[in-house]
Amino acid sequence: MSMADTITFQMSNKMNCFHHFQPRVEEFGEKHGLPVKVVFHLNLVLDELITNIISYGYTDFDEHPINVRVGIEDDVITIRIEDDAEPFNILEAPEPEFDVPLEERIRPVGGMGVHLVKSMVNNIDYKREDGKNVLVLTKNISKPCCLVKG
Amino acid sequence: MAMNELKENGITILAVDGNLDAEGTQAMEEKVLSLLAGGETCLLFDFSDLDYINSSGLRVLVLAYQRLKKASGKIAICGIKDYIQEVFEVSGYDKIFPLFPNRGDALTGM
Repeated sequence: MSMADTITFQMSNKMNCFHHFQPRVEEFGEKHGLPVKVVFHLNLVLDELITNIISYGYTDFDEHPINVRVGIEDDVITIRIEDDAEPFNILEAPEPEFDVPLEERIRPVGGMGVHLVKSMVNNIDYKREDGKNVLVLTKNISKPCCLVKG
Repeated sequence: MAMNELKENGITILAVDGNLDAEGTQAMEEKVLSLLAGGETCLLFDFSDLDYINSSGLRVLVLAYQRLKKASGKIAICGIKDYIQEVFEVSGYDKIFPLFPNRGDALTGM
């Protein structure tokens, strides 16, 4: 049986991000009987990406909308995030300095958030469109992850 | 997020329950910094009831690791759930932090 469902919500860079989306993601997970681990992955992916946008994305102090859509169709979950922050392509972000011992790293956990995101999804698409970043991530819950390995 | 601190066999145990979101992580960071400033050299994080951690939470653990390494101290983590252990594996931090299944094992193994 095929099933499709989508939740959308608008956030702003002035919001406490986790408190805003976490209850919605939990509810979505419950409705579709998603494993605890998958719900954790969804929360972590949204948290890391939205926190990045809020922390580094803006050059002014104004309020900006961040539009989020999470959908499921059969075994494929799609996350879409659209923001009007500065251009940022997660696919071009530097990886953590894995080859350098931890105590010698200049950026101890630099790039780790993005690395975690890549490890929890199967595909990432980025485009800059009409002055907006549009990021689409897909996760197939019937397949092992993912874009990177630890 | 809730934190509970106690001392056993000279080891300070910090049990962290619930979610280490931005707010929780900030509270844990303040706690860890104050413990380190107070001269603690042996820290055990009990994550048995921890449901959520992100890269900022990992950053606080790395900070504690780096400080304690300089002070010839010890740090370990126990009780983490399998899906959180995966975050440690993906980040490579499972090779840095001793991970124990439970508090008892950590106290004898540290």
